[in-house]
Amino acid sequence: MFRYYKPHTINELSELKAKYDSKLLSGGTDLMVKMRAKVINPEVVIDTKGLEKEEITFDGSKIRIPLNTTYDDLLSNNEFCDRFPMVVDIIKQIGSPQIRNRATPIGNIGNASPAGDFLLATYLFHGYAEIKPSNKKVRIHQLIDGPGRLRLKPEEFIYSIELKERKGFKYYYEKVGKRNAMNIAIISLGVLVKLDGEIIEEIKIAYGSVGPTVVRFKDIEDGVIGKKFSKELFEELAEKYYERINPITDVRATADYRKKMVKNLMLKSYYNLNKN
Amino acid sequence: MIIKFKLNGKDVEFDVLEHKRALDFLRDDMRMTSVKEGCGEGECGACTIILNGKNVNSCMVLAVELDGQEVWTLEGLNEIGDTKIQDAYIEKGAIQCGFCTPGFIMSTKVLLDKNPNPSEEEIKEGLEGNLCRCTGYTKIIEAVKFAARGEK
Ligand SMILES: Cc1cc2nc3c(=O)[nH]c(=O)nc-3n(C[C@H](O)[C@H](O)[C@H](O)COP(=O)(O)OP(=O)(O)OC[C@H]3O[C@@H](n4cnc5c(N)ncnc54)[C@H](O)[C@@H]3O)c2cc1C
Ligand code: FES
Ligand code: FES
Repeated sequence: MFRYYKPHTINELSELKAKYDSKLLSGGTDLMVKMRAKVINPEVVIDTKGLEKEEITFDGSKIRIPLNTTYDDLLSNNEFCDRFPMVVDIIKQIGSPQIRNRATPIGNIGNASPAGDFLLATYLFHGYAEIKPSNKKVRIHQLIDGPGRLRLKPEEFIYSIELKERKGFKYYYEKVGKRNAMNIAIISLGVLVKLDGEIIEEIKIAYGSVGPTVVRFKDIEDGVIGKKFSKELFEELAEKYYERINPITDVRATADYRKKMVKNLMLKSYYNLNKN
Repeated sequence: MIIKFKLNGKDVEFDVLEHKRALDFLRDDMRMTSVKEGCGEGECGACTIILNGKNVNSCMVLAVELDGQEVWTLEGLNEIGDTKIQDAYIEKGAIQCGFCTPGFIMSTKVLLDKNPNPSEEEIKEGLEGNLCRCTGYTKIIEAVKFAARGEK
C-alpha cells in the first residue's frame, strides 16, 4: 500500500523523492512487477508523467531523449531510426508492443539491470545522463552502482539522456533468450566496429547479463585498434573475454553455458560483421 | 483519489484507491469484464486495453494513471458497433476457450488502425504481446488478414 504523487515541477518531484522512501514511476513496466512480487515496497510512488514531456531532439551528432519518452516514441521518430539503426534493432527486441508503448529508456537505466537492453546500448553510444535538480551531466555507466542501484543522491533523478551517433560503424547485436518476444536476455552482445580498409579504427564491445552490470573492457578494445579485422583476431578476442568474464548461474542459465556463449557469440559477431 | 477520464467514449469520474491497478479497477468497479487477468506481469496480454490509441497491459498501469486519459475496452467497440475484428475471429474460428480473445482483438484493432494492410510478419509482430494457450495462432492470423482485407 503506497501513496501516489504526480508532481508537475522538477523541484516538487525532487523534494518528494528526498522526503519519502519512494520509487519513481515512468512506464511502470518494471516497477509494477516488482511491487506486485513484493520485491520492493515503497511508501510513496512518484509518477514522473506530471512533468511536461519534451520533444526528442538532435544536436549535431547527438540525440537527446527526455524523461517520459517511450520506446514507441523513439521507434516512431524517423530521424532516430535513420541515424541509430543498431539501437532500433535493440529496442525492437525489448518486450512486446504493449510494453514498448509504456516503457521508457530512462526506466531501463533506472532499473540498472545487467540484462537491460537499452542500458547496454548506452555503453556503446557514449551515453550521458542529465541529472536534476543538480544539472550534472554524467556518463551513464558511472551512474550504475550494481543491480538495481544508481549512484544518485536522494533528491536526484535522471531528466534526460544523450546518445552519440556512430557514423560509418558496422554493428552486430544478439540477444539470446528462451523465447522470441519478451525476452530477458540470458546473454547479449553488442559490437560496433569502424574499419579503414581492413584495419580496425575503432571498436566497442559490450556484453549483457554476464555480470552485475553491462560489461565492457576498454583495454581489450584499445588492444585491437590498428589490427587487421580477421577471424584470427576475433578468435583471440573470444578467448580474452572468455578468460575475463565470470558469469553467475541463475534461473535462466548456468554460468557454464553463459561462459561458452561469451566465446561463441564473439565468433558469430565476426561472421556477421564480415557479411555486411 | 478522484480520477476523471474517458471510458469507451463517455466521461467517467470515480474515487479510486491509489494502489489499485487499472486492470482491477476496470474489471471490478467499471465492470469491463472483457479485461482479463492472466499473468499479472505484462507477459500474456489478456488484460490489454487501448490507452490514448495504443495497446497497453492494464496490469502494469495504475488506475490513477488513467486520470485525464482515453480508454477503450472491447465493450466500447461493441457499443459503437465496431465489430469487424470480432466477426472475423468468429468467422475464422480463431477462438477456443476465448480467454485471450478480448486482448487479441484490442491489439488487432491498434495494429490495423496503424497499418490497414499488414503482412503476415507484421501481424505476428503486432500480436507478439498476446499469448493464446489454445489455438496455435494460425487461425488468429487468418482472422486478422480477413478483418484487414477479406482474405479467405
Ligand atoms: C513482459 C516484460 C518484458 C520485458 N522485456 C524486457 C527486455 O526485453 N529488455 C529489457 O531490457 N527490459 C525488459 N523489461 C523490463 C522493462 O520493461 C524495461 O526495463 C523498461 O525500459 C523499464 O521502463 P519503465 O519506464 O517502464 O520503468 P519503470 O518501471 O517506470 O521504472 C523502472 C525503475 O527505474 C526507476 N526510474 C524511473 N524513472 C527514473 C528517473 N527519471 N530517474 C531515476 N530512476 C528512475 C524507477 O523508480 C524504477 O526503479 C520487460 C518487462 C516486462 C514486464
Ligand atoms: S495479465 Fe496483464 S499481461 Fe498478463
Ligand atoms: S482461445 Fe484459449 S487462450 Fe486463446
